[in-house]
Amino acid sequence: MSVPADHSPSPFVEMIGAKMEEWHEGYVRMSLVLEQKHTNPNGVMHGGVATSLMDEVLGAVVASIRGMDAMRAAPHATVDMNVSFLAGPRQGDEIVVEGKALKVGRSVAFCEAEVTRRGKGDLIAKGRFTFVIAGSRNG
Amino acid sequence: MAEPVGAPFTAYIGGMLEEISEGYAHISLQTNAGHADALGNIHTGVLTSLMDSAIGIALGRLRGEGARELEGPHATIEMSTTFYAQASPGDELRIEGRVTSLTQRFAFGEVEARREADGELLAKARLTFAIPGGRD
Repeated sequence: MSVPADHSPSPFVEMIGAKMEEWHEGYVRMSLVLEQKHTNPNGVMHGGVATSLMDEVLGAVVASIRGMDAMRAAPHATVDMNVSFLAGPRQGDEIVVEGKALKVGRSVAFCEAEVTRRGKGDLIAKGRFTFVIAGSRNG
Repeated sequence: MAEPVGAPFTAYIGGMLEEISEGYAHISLQTNAGHADALGNIHTGVLTSLMDSAIGIALGRLRGEGARELEGPHATIEMSTTFYAQASPGDELRIEGRVTSLTQRFAFGEVEARREADGELLAKARLTFAIPGGRD
């Protein structure tokens, strides 16, 4: 599907090479075919690839709910991230990163994301993220 | 003397290994616009990637050269991170990780990410690693 220019990945996620697949209010999905540059010395995906893409997807989910104007006026930022790594995909595997919001309040947003392997569908990583909305930090 | 980090992904980002000893590693990164998030700050993924690598490297040195071949590589199973402040492209990052405990099956580590120029704490993480079997 076509993704509006507004929803293009951040420079760092461009560097990683992930693709935006779907963006609508409350749901965002990205994917990445793993290359050698995405691995750690064991030959499996570096954990940082998963945490980077989960944060990207969830930042976009919160933006999709708050609206782009609200986000620009009062940006949200990740304050807490808890991730479990359940499997280590390898070069050539395609990973799918999906995120959804549990609650978007005035000052805090709670979200969760999953990384799965395309085709098999097995869970690779699961994350819970908390975002703070600017302007709320100082009351 | 700093050298690129051995992990392909961390090297791709630009992470440099500054110092290593048993259970300790210090990685640096000179950030640029390519490390930015959608709002122009340094992407949290840059920090988490370097923090994960720092503990992985510190643990590798602590386990010893032969351990990986004998028992297999260690792998991150949990990472819990708190972000305190944001960095901007151009900032140099200082990532210091320490292994806090190593048992037969698990290892635990703590790592901090700071801005080199003023020492401001950007993020702090706790990680749990699984050590593969081979001893039992």
